[in-house]
Amino acid sequence: MLKMTHLSKVYRTEVVETYALRDFSIDVKEGEFVAVTGPSGSGKTTFLTIAGLLETFTGGSYHLDGVDVSHLNDNARSKIRNEKIGFIFQAFNLIPDLNVYDNVEVPLRYRGMKAAERKKRIMESLERVGLSSRLKHYPAELSGGQQQRVAIARALAGSPRLLLADEPTGNLDTQMARGVMELLEDIHREGATIVMVTHDPELATRAQRNVHVIDGQVVDVAEDRVFSTSQLAEHSPA
Amino acid sequence: MTVHPIIAALRRHKAGVILIGLQIALTLAIVCNAVFIIGQRISRVDRPTGINESNLFLVTQQYVGAPSSDTKAGADKLDTMELEDAAALRQLPSVAKVSVISSMPLLNSAWNGGMSTKPQAKSGFKMTTYYFGDQNMLSTLGAQLVAGRDFNAGDVQHAGFRTDAKRPVVIVTQSLAHKLFPNGSALGKTVYMDGSGSPSTIIGIVKRLQTPSTSDWASSFAYDSTLIPTRKDAFFSRYLVRAKPGQMKAAMAAAHDALFKVNPMRVIDDDMGIRSFASIRAEAYKQDVSMAILMGAVCIILLALTAAGIVGLTSFWVGQRTKQIGVRRALGARGIDILRYFQLENLFIAGMGVVVGLLLAIGVNQWLVQHFEMDRMPLGYLFVGVLVVLVLGQLAVFVPARRASRVPPVTATRSV
Amino acid sequence: MFAYYVDLAWRSLRRSRGLTILMVLAIGFGVAASMTTFAVFRAASGDPIPWKSGKLFVPQIDSAGPGNGNTDNEPPQQLTYPDAMALMRDHRAVHQSAMYRLGVSVVPDKAGAHPFNVDGHAVFAGFFPMLDVPFAYGSAWSHADDQHRAAVVVISSHLNDKLFGGGNSVGRSINIEGKNYRVVGVTDHWDPKPMFYDVVNTGGFTTQRDDVLIPLPSAIDANITNQGTTNCSRPSPEPGFVGLQHSTCVWIAYMAELDSTAQVSAYKRYLDNYARSQQQAGRYDWPPNNRLRSLPQWLDYMHVVPSDTKVSLLVALGLFVVCLVNTAGLLLAKLTRRSGEIGVRRAIGAPRRAIYAQFVIEAGMVGLTGGVLGMVLTALGVLAMRVVLPPEIADLARLNVGLFALTVLVAMAATVLAGLYPSFRAANVQPAWHLKSH
Repeated sequence: MLKMTHLSKVYRTEVVETYALRDFSIDVKEGEFVAVTGPSGSGKTTFLTIAGLLETFTGGSYHLDGVDVSHLNDNARSKIRNEKIGFIFQAFNLIPDLNVYDNVEVPLRYRGMKAAERKKRIMESLERVGLSSRLKHYPAELSGGQQQRVAIARALAGSPRLLLADEPTGNLDTQMARGVMELLEDIHREGATIVMVTHDPELATRAQRNVHVIDGQVVDVAEDRVFSTSQLAEHSPA
Repeated sequence: MTVHPIIAALRRHKAGVILIGLQIALTLAIVCNAVFIIGQRISRVDRPTGINESNLFLVTQQYVGAPSSDTKAGADKLDTMELEDAAALRQLPSVAKVSVISSMPLLNSAWNGGMSTKPQAKSGFKMTTYYFGDQNMLSTLGAQLVAGRDFNAGDVQHAGFRTDAKRPVVIVTQSLAHKLFPNGSALGKTVYMDGSGSPSTIIGIVKRLQTPSTSDWASSFAYDSTLIPTRKDAFFSRYLVRAKPGQMKAAMAAAHDALFKVNPMRVIDDDMGIRSFASIRAEAYKQDVSMAILMGAVCIILLALTAAGIVGLTSFWVGQRTKQIGVRRALGARGIDILRYFQLENLFIAGMGVVVGLLLAIGVNQWLVQHFEMDRMPLGYLFVGVLVVLVLGQLAVFVPARRASRVPPVTATRSV
Repeated sequence: MFAYYVDLAWRSLRRSRGLTILMVLAIGFGVAASMTTFAVFRAASGDPIPWKSGKLFVPQIDSAGPGNGNTDNEPPQQLTYPDAMALMRDHRAVHQSAMYRLGVSVVPDKAGAHPFNVDGHAVFAGFFPMLDVPFAYGSAWSHADDQHRAAVVVISSHLNDKLFGGGNSVGRSINIEGKNYRVVGVTDHWDPKPMFYDVVNTGGFTTQRDDVLIPLPSAIDANITNQGTTNCSRPSPEPGFVGLQHSTCVWIAYMAELDSTAQVSAYKRYLDNYARSQQQAGRYDWPPNNRLRSLPQWLDYMHVVPSDTKVSLLVALGLFVVCLVNTAGLLLAKLTRRSGEIGVRRAIGAPRRAIYAQFVIEAGMVGLTGGVLGMVLTALGVLAMRVVLPPEIADLARLNVGLFALTVLVAMAATVLAGLYPSFRAANVQPAWHLKSH
């Protein structure tokens, strides 16, 4: 489903070359729920932006759903993001001008879907997250947990092959976070592939498999988890 | 506070800074030139005619079935009719003075010619406008004689409209006298008109008397008038009437009826037949006044627009930097420091705009000078324009800057 | 998709209401100021006879001689009577007419009605086919009428309404300056502005309307004098109107129709030959110095469009540019505030062109609204012009559907233009931007 091999990402400025990812390899199978953990500055967010085709990479290869995405142009990348990937952001990133219904509609609009089909999907996905009664509400009128549910509904509406979540509970209190997490688990049980980035070890245990990232490299040792977070959290960001 | 952080901040908003700077530059360039045009028009409208303009009106009438003025008999008949008309007007109780006259200042109906100090001259003429009329011309106009004498009844003759009569005596304006005789008094000197060989003696000099034409082409001799004591007999005639103070309206109404009483076979146009000098003046300068109004409107719209643009853009910058401002406040900046920061920032942008604007203003003026025969703009206009634009910028920026200065320091601790 | 962008734009504009109003006002005022002055300019500089202006020519013959009044060695703007009559006699153009301006009194039949003045021109029969004068009733007079100095007249529909109640008055007679003239034709609302066939005497733009057209030879016979400009380089040798006809004064306007370039060059040669023959005859003691300007060149040479009109148009255009810069700046500022939203949209899969389209359409909507406001303001502006401007110019600036459509179109096109750079910037917002939430 998502396969990166020896992938690297270098940020170059006039004076320094910084490796955000180095010889990064990961293989996520269809239907898996993978948690990517690591301390601040470890490169896990860079991994997510590259996985979501929001950024390009410097070396290695990346196949998404069997397609080599390294040479695609901006338009093709937009199309893949729109059709195959669903995003769930820590800050929800709902568009404040649009109400719940219209927010969920955004990806469907860019897919050029007919109105009836859009409506069906929006209703389905909002029902899925339990917010079908709040269609006309604006993001500012919802609680954080509700906002994140809308964001999840938006990610689900396009029936993506892959869900990418970036600290989905980072801005939520414990109770709300639990609700959102349970929702993600449900979605996974129904067959979705989910890749979640988090630095919360507790959250990571909910996933099927954990991938640990330190200094831009995969350290696939689950037992090191406690050690690495406490040690490397002190490192300054790359 | 140093300038360095301002420049650094501006560099991050290059496009916005360039746009607002450009707007200020264009505004300065246009406003300077527009105000210059207004100034020129006002000074044109304000220039004195040299006559006493109050209580004055002009009657223009046309005889129906009039004899031809080309024959002696026809001209004599027309002259008698004119004299009857003038006498009838003079008898009106509301009328103080009446003169038979060919035209008057600002009427834009002129009889122009060339005057020379030599007989049968082929070149070297001084352009002038002739006023033909009787001995009451100067006194009815209210122009001021500075040397010599006014015409008397004995000087006055009459001639057909297209017939050239000798002009033994004339009165000229001071301005024309100086052009003809730069080195001495013109009084008593002999001049020749339109290349003719018959001499005319200057018997009087008028301080100032504007010509009828307000067009650009006649501006070089706008005050070079010549008065000739000859009634020009034609199928039409003009009477200049000075009403007694406060009786202008009555006199204008009475004049109409009195003339039709003398002779009903005539045409007096409803609009243009009997006109007060005020309306003649308004008509002559209508174009100038309208141009000044138009330029004024453009200036107001432009300045308002630029002020609004500055308010709009600065508001956005303030909004964008709210957190940054909070941090500064947390680090000890006072409200006044923040206010100053934005005011200084605006001064900086406006300053750059002004430099470009000055060059543009001069360039536009240069271009207008070349293509539209405009005058060169004095530097004073630029100076005032710069001042206005800078002050406007400071006033406009004050609104959002004050809001910025009220951002509480606690903002720094809030997340985005 | 278009409807979606329109919907988004509408939401966005409503959200920052103050800014939207500011932009709409800027565009509205800017476009209105430009369109109002443009309406006057267009009317003043329009081609009065577009279908054949290139075929109409104004001949000038130097009857004054070098250095006589004209600094730039240009010949006088009108012809002397003898020159004009010689050109008429030789009849070298397809159509031609000498003409001079009249101001005459008309005495109505009706008892008790006062005489009144009308304006007009003395012209030749060729005047009517040359200028394609439309007739409501009757037709032009014939060349024979010119030769026989017939007392005939063509009157305007305006005068026809006044004298004959608008009916077919052909064959009836009117009293002009005490003499009866038979009506042969009534023109059909023909009142060209500028009065291009005689700009010297009318200044081009005038409130005057030609109510009577009389054969020039008949007018000369009846001693109807000219009302226009007379320019003399030397005093007339004889007095009176007859003296004027024999003098070297110029007072006759002239126009000729020449249909091909061959005819134009032949006519030029003819003018030179004529001037040379006059030189040989001793009338002129200088070599030929003629001009043959086409109507558009002639109107330009005579500065028929007032320079104030041009300067105002330029100033209004400048104002419009400032409005655009202002709008571009505000759109840019707005975009900066919305870069978060754009980042999310891009992440969700909006391609660049979708963002681009969204912002361009938003700009277009500002332009559309500004254009509608501008339309109202243009209408007010044109009405204000009528109050403020001299009537001969202001009357030209007419309100019509075309002007309104143009106002909206210009506003939209200009605003979209102003929005191109901000939209370009918006489309280049990186989708990853908002993900950096740690």
